[in-house]
Amino acid sequence: MSLAELSRWKHRLLRQVDLAGSGTHGLVSRDIPVAGNSSERYIIWIDGVGAWQLCVGSEFLIGAPTREDSVADICLMAHLSRRHATLQRIGEDWFIHPYHPTVVSGRTVTGAASLRTGDSICLAERVRLGFRIPSVLSGSAVIDFESHHRPAQTVDGIILMTDSVLLGPRKDHHIYCPDWPELVVIYRQDGQMRCRSKAALTVNGERVRDSAILSDGAIVSGEEFRFRIEKQSSNIPV
Amino acid sequence: MKFTFAPESKPLDGYTIKRAIHRGGFGEVYYALSDAGKEVALKLLHNNLEVELRGVSQCLNLKHPNLVTIFDMKQDSEKDHWIVMEYVGGKGLHEVMHDHPAGMPIKDILFWMSGITAGLSFLHDRGIVHRDLKPANIFCDADIVKIGDVGLSKYISESRRSAQTQSVGTVYYMAPEVARGRYGRELDIYSTGIILYEMLTGRVPFEGETTAEILMKHLTAEPDLSVLPEKFRPVLAAALEKDPDRRISEIEELERRFRMAVEESGVVTDRPGAAQATSRNRKQAVPELAPTLIKGVNTAAAAQNSDGSLGETFRSIVQFWHHRVPTPVKWVVYAFVLLGSLKRGIIGFSWAEIGLLVVIYAVYRKFFSKAVESSSLPQGLAGSGKATVQAGLAKGEATWPVTALPAAGLGAIQTVAVASPVAVAASQNYSPATLRQIPSGQRAIDMTTSLSVSLAAVGLVTTAVHLATPLLPRVVDVAFFGTVTLLAAASLIIPAKFWEGHASDHLLRRLIQGAVGLGVGAVAWALQQFLMLGNSQLLHAEGPGMFNGGQLGRISVISSDGLPTMAGFMMFFGLLFVARRWWWQADSFRKARFRISSTLVSLLVGFILTAILPFPNNLGAVWALAISAVVQLSAGWTPQEERWLAPAPGPGKAVPLLTPVRHPAVGSPVAQKL
Repeated sequence: MSLAELSRWKHRLLRQVDLAGSGTHGLVSRDIPVAGNSSERYIIWIDGVGAWQLCVGSEFLIGAPTREDSVADICLMAHLSRRHATLQRIGEDWFIHPYHPTVVSGRTVTGAASLRTGDSICLAERVRLGFRIPSVLSGSAVIDFESHHRPAQTVDGIILMTDSVLLGPRKDHHIYCPDWPELVVIYRQDGQMRCRSKAALTVNGERVRDSAILSDGAIVSGEEFRFRIEKQSSNIPV
Repeated sequence: MKFTFAPESKPLDGYTIKRAIHRGGFGEVYYALSDAGKEVALKLLHNNLEVELRGVSQCLNLKHPNLVTIFDMKQDSEKDHWIVMEYVGGKGLHEVMHDHPAGMPIKDILFWMSGITAGLSFLHDRGIVHRDLKPANIFCDADIVKIGDVGLSKYISESRRSAQTQSVGTVYYMAPEVARGRYGRELDIYSTGIILYEMLTGRVPFEGETTAEILMKHLTAEPDLSVLPEKFRPVLAAALEKDPDRRISEIEELERRFRMAVEESGVVTDRPGAAQATSRNRKQAVPELAPTLIKGVNTAAAAQNSDGSLGETFRSIVQFWHHRVPTPVKWVVYAFVLLGSLKRGIIGFSWAEIGLLVVIYAVYRKFFSKAVESSSLPQGLAGSGKATVQAGLAKGEATWPVTALPAAGLGAIQTVAVASPVAVAASQNYSPATLRQIPSGQRAIDMTTSLSVSLAAVGLVTTAVHLATPLLPRVVDVAFFGTVTLLAAASLIIPAKFWEGHASDHLLRRLIQGAVGLGVGAVAWALQQFLMLGNSQLLHAEGPGMFNGGQLGRISVISSDGLPTMAGFMMFFGLLFVARRWWWQADSFRKARFRISSTLVSLLVGFILTAILPFPNNLGAVWALAISAVVQLSAGWTPQEERWLAPAPGPGKAVPLLTPVRHPAVGSPVAQKL
């Protein structure tokens, strides 16, 4: 048996232990999906604005990193289980599936519970995250850090991207970029990340006509702004 | 904004730039990761190179949690200088200020102030003046305030303090002595004073179109301290003193005096709204601050208790009454006292009176308590939000959501309540004397609402008089009393609402009121003639008062059949209207919606007037009381915590005008969704 197979077996076993543990707590029923690194992760570095983690998918696991890797999509440096809860978008709605003690806006949730914009998620009594859906134009959500707990790589927030992410000068954009003249939309099409804007854009120095593919490390520039999108690998704690 | 270095650039060995942070006066700052993954801020120096390098080299080995640590200074292959610094995430003070355009909550101010003091004190103790202290240089990371750009600091000694004449710093926060090339540590005190002023009010004291204009104001203009709560004025005046020798010289002294002012101003720091921390990074810090403040409050309370004088005892009773007795209980007691006064010594209440009290209480519960409840939580915040607040309370956490609420109830000014302690701090000094701009539309709405409510209030008060006293036995008496009370109340409310927020001579106002009173008296006389109340016991004067035979010179104030004449009516109402500051009772910024003390003073004034004038004693006194009660019950009132004002835009105003403001969060999508 190779090392890789051993590692796979270990993860499968750990996942079962986690499930069994949560079952004894009565926090989750067996039919609730348990995500595990199901999303792609990126970091967007924006000049003059900040850094944001971008998780692309429909299920996002919240947990703590291990020494070897970060199984969770929202991987926080906190005293949490590796799989503490899952955020999931079903249709137009967002849900949280807790596996360990979780409180949503003051209510202790023991099973799947719906999330609304403005909800505050408290994990293991200490980790507080804000949940909001800033724009009606997109179902993507933003996770704000309300306690000190952050991913190992400092970011200003986490975007759970289900369809598109809006970067622009309004506060109802996912990433508020106050000095930008125009909105820039990042979206996913045919398995590829793309971006478009009314503003004149260049991606890696090449002018964008309508939209452009964002490859790993792509630098997107406009007249007054610049950002870089970088894919994150799961074996580095994010 | 374009920056020199693109992401993934490696101008310095071992560091990869990930993004630009900002461009400051002294160069560009980048966020970078070392090869091992350590995050740092890299500062590329453009201008003032010599000053910056000297400053940095002096500060390279300073270690303090409230100062941004400088790791190293390096040169790249192009011979450009870079400073490698600790990366500080979190919000800068300028961003936090931007989120609070009308001033920050007092707890937040204390938190920032404490960090600034610790950092500056450390520098000053080592003979270093920061010289460029400004909100953009102050950050908060993981609940620790960090002062950045210490590189501009200048090593000072007494002999060299006036040596350098180069003008540096940011003009809004620049002390006047910089123009003379003097760089003592008082310079930082002045900048901190400006920052403190800005944190309290949301604006800097000296603004201008040009740098020269601002500098000139620093040199010559006095800061407008009238926009500050009274207790803070001497502290800020001492910090913003033009002459550095007369300015507060120690940063600790400034903080100590500011904390004392907070305690003296009686800011309620343990109320839920006061515990809010709008910056996510400061939420944990609030409990650390709370004991200091509570300790101060307790000390003050203990001092009061230890002093056994009658005045102190009375003060504690009044304090207990205002802060501890639940409002519904107060209303019931008020009603009992009022009815008791009406009976004028007759003890005992009939079932009808008790029933009336119950009705008053029920009305209170239905309307007023709901208004209070709705104003204590964000509108539309259903169960979940409320639960958060309660859960927070149970845990003693200070994690309150930002709440921005429209004024509830009959508030005269469409103010917006922000559950923030600074609003409380500021509002504690807002009184009817506070000059403020009220839009004419608001004024009209307030006036019409007050007049409409006065109809109901007159009904309530007249019914109470009818039931509690033998004064109004017949329906016609009730109608007469009620109509005149309504007319009098309306005649007082209308000018009061016109005057609200304006400066004016009190004597002039009293005279105008007196003239209005004469008119009301004339109408009252005409009405009693019309209703043919000649044989009513109501109007029979019990004595001639100080007037012999009811004559005042050639004017007859009492008729041959013992009734007050038109002149008698006019005189009574004229004097009654002159005797009291009625506009104070009708102002939206009066202390409480209804004050029993005001009503009783009016009753007393009525008694005194009827003792002087040949006017029916009972009727006169009860009328004074009833008018006072109706004016207070019906005139629009803004609760203390909703008195949220900001300096009116537009420089050069002779009087410091305040204008009601709407908290920005009200308009934000998040707030709407809350």
